[in-house]
Amino acid sequence: MKPNSNEERAYQQCTRCVMDTTASDITFDEQGVCNYCTEFLERSSHIIHEDPVQKEARLNALVSKIKEAGRGKPYDCIVGVSGGVDSSWTLVEVKRLGLRPLAVHMDNGWNSELAQNNIANLVNTLGVDLYTHVIDWEEYRALMQAFFDADVIDIELLYDNAMLAVNYQQANKYGLKYILAGTNQATEGMRMPPGWNWLKYDKKNIVALARRNGIKSLDTFPAIGIFGYIYYQYFRRNRWLSFLDYLPYNKFYALNELETNYGYKRYPFKHYESIFTRFYQGYILPRKFGVDKRKLHLATLVASNQMTRDEAIKGLEGIPYPTQQGIEADLNYFLKKMHWTRQQLDEYIARPSISHSAYPSEKATWEIFVNIYRSIVKGRYVH
Amino acid sequence: MLKHRVIPALLLKNAGLVKTLQFKNPKYVGDPINAIRIFNDKEVDELMVLDITASKEQREPNYALIEQFAGECFMPLAYGGGIKTVAQAQQLFSLGVEKVCIQSAALDNPRLVTELAEQFGSQSIIVSLDIKRNWLGKAQLYNATTGKTLAGVWQTQLQALVAAGAGEVLLNAVDKDGTLSGSDLELIRQAREHLEVPLVAVGGISSLSDIKAAVDAGASAVAAGAFFVFHGPHRAVLITYPKYHELENLFKANT
Repeated sequence: MKPNSNEERAYQQCTRCVMDTTASDITFDEQGVCNYCTEFLERSSHIIHEDPVQKEARLNALVSKIKEAGRGKPYDCIVGVSGGVDSSWTLVEVKRLGLRPLAVHMDNGWNSELAQNNIANLVNTLGVDLYTHVIDWEEYRALMQAFFDADVIDIELLYDNAMLAVNYQQANKYGLKYILAGTNQATEGMRMPPGWNWLKYDKKNIVALARRNGIKSLDTFPAIGIFGYIYYQYFRRNRWLSFLDYLPYNKFYALNELETNYGYKRYPFKHYESIFTRFYQGYILPRKFGVDKRKLHLATLVASNQMTRDEAIKGLEGIPYPTQQGIEADLNYFLKKMHWTRQQLDEYIARPSISHSAYPSEKATWEIFVNIYRSIVKGRYVH
Repeated sequence: MLKHRVIPALLLKNAGLVKTLQFKNPKYVGDPINAIRIFNDKEVDELMVLDITASKEQREPNYALIEQFAGECFMPLAYGGGIKTVAQAQQLFSLGVEKVCIQSAALDNPRLVTELAEQFGSQSIIVSLDIKRNWLGKAQLYNATTGKTLAGVWQTQLQALVAAGAGEVLLNAVDKDGTLSGSDLELIRQAREHLEVPLVAVGGISSLSDIKAAVDAGASAVAAGAFFVFHGPHRAVLITYPKYHELENLFKANT
């Protein structure tokens, strides 16, 4: 494992959550409590510990607005679905509230049977229409290869960017104002440590890495950049909302309900609905980049009182994989899909990482935009 | 084992999977390797991969790709598309394919079916017939490579190919392909008459009851494409397959 931060720093773990010195900018107070859970609670307590009456009023107001805006249209909102718990629960709640969602799914060639089965059970039980955007696998593989060759950390930028683009495109197609996402504060609101991922709207970065590998154009890959985001969000008024923040959201309650009523099968770790995501988080990130994302997920659950610290520490024990055989199986599948040899994988893992900012990027533009936006609308957040 | 096999039929174009509508407008539906992996996890009994451009482009099967499929596939794999010679079939079997499906070459040269059956056993030789109805509703043999219907009575051709040694017949209702509107039951009934080998019906399946209807009309097995890869009015790509007990119950009732 390679340390993410400078090597002199002694290891320390937060006494309240489970974040540790693998986050390069972590600081601790006298009690050993870290800035990650402290900032998280400062920023998100008003959502996580919101007065239930107030929360319900906020939800009802939103639901009325969505219904009003969707009158006369085939749907009134978009719900992106991956087969994972957050988006599945969003869809269930959206239907319960009497909304008329179009479920949107993005297929990048790595879907697991579990994910397909969860989506099928949900949309069938709930009677929801589904739209799938399938990216041509040969194109997606070439883009992944470009990201691997560039040694940048956020390979999932590809999926996340395409997913954002597809949701906005579908909202726009039906003239829908609301995209209701499973993103939420209660289970994933803790800030990502610097260097653990990259700006998801960085189309310029994607295009630059693609060009670097001789890919001339994006054909079936639906990329979105900052200007696309501004266009949809502010000119077309397609609103991206973290829907679960309008509800009291407990991941474990949601999982049980989904399993009991919707034939849902859970995954051992967060975001394991795609075989690549599983391999990326469980193998590539820890080995090449010294990053274990479980820490952030579990720390958030501890800070939002959905799990005890002891449970989280137990959750961090051992390899970030269900079983050792699981790693081997996924590794072989990864090699087959990417047309790599084992040696190519080992060489990739051994190469030092390179920052996304070493390549053309929209990050600086994004930061200027966010600063301008904040100075205009003080106190509000650009997600 | 189920009494009747229910087989996903995957259409290959270049290196990707597509789904057609009445043999036209191939729509990309994904990476074959990932689809096979998902069907593995769904415990499908048998899988069929048909390369829809091999004969049209007058080329051999894509052996490298088929080898990958066979390696990923837990269940028996049938392959069709571009097979013209015994040597080609031999190579496919050596890669792990269990059955080969012959169409254009069998129509041109029925002796090929005999040679294949003699060499590999008729149980591993499927002949495939595409049947299209003309504007009067009359069923005719259709050549997908040329896009033309062929003269002659299709049942006669069918009987001739079975007599030549085919162990199984894949009956493709062209007008039903991808329409999710139910099978051409009349066609299945007609094909079934005097047929001594298993009949696999494909085209139009949209539900479990369509599968049942095709079986009741005389199909020994049913293959389907759109039913297993599309969902709902937007034809959203979503791979599904009935649960074993659902199929078991389906075939248990009144048979």
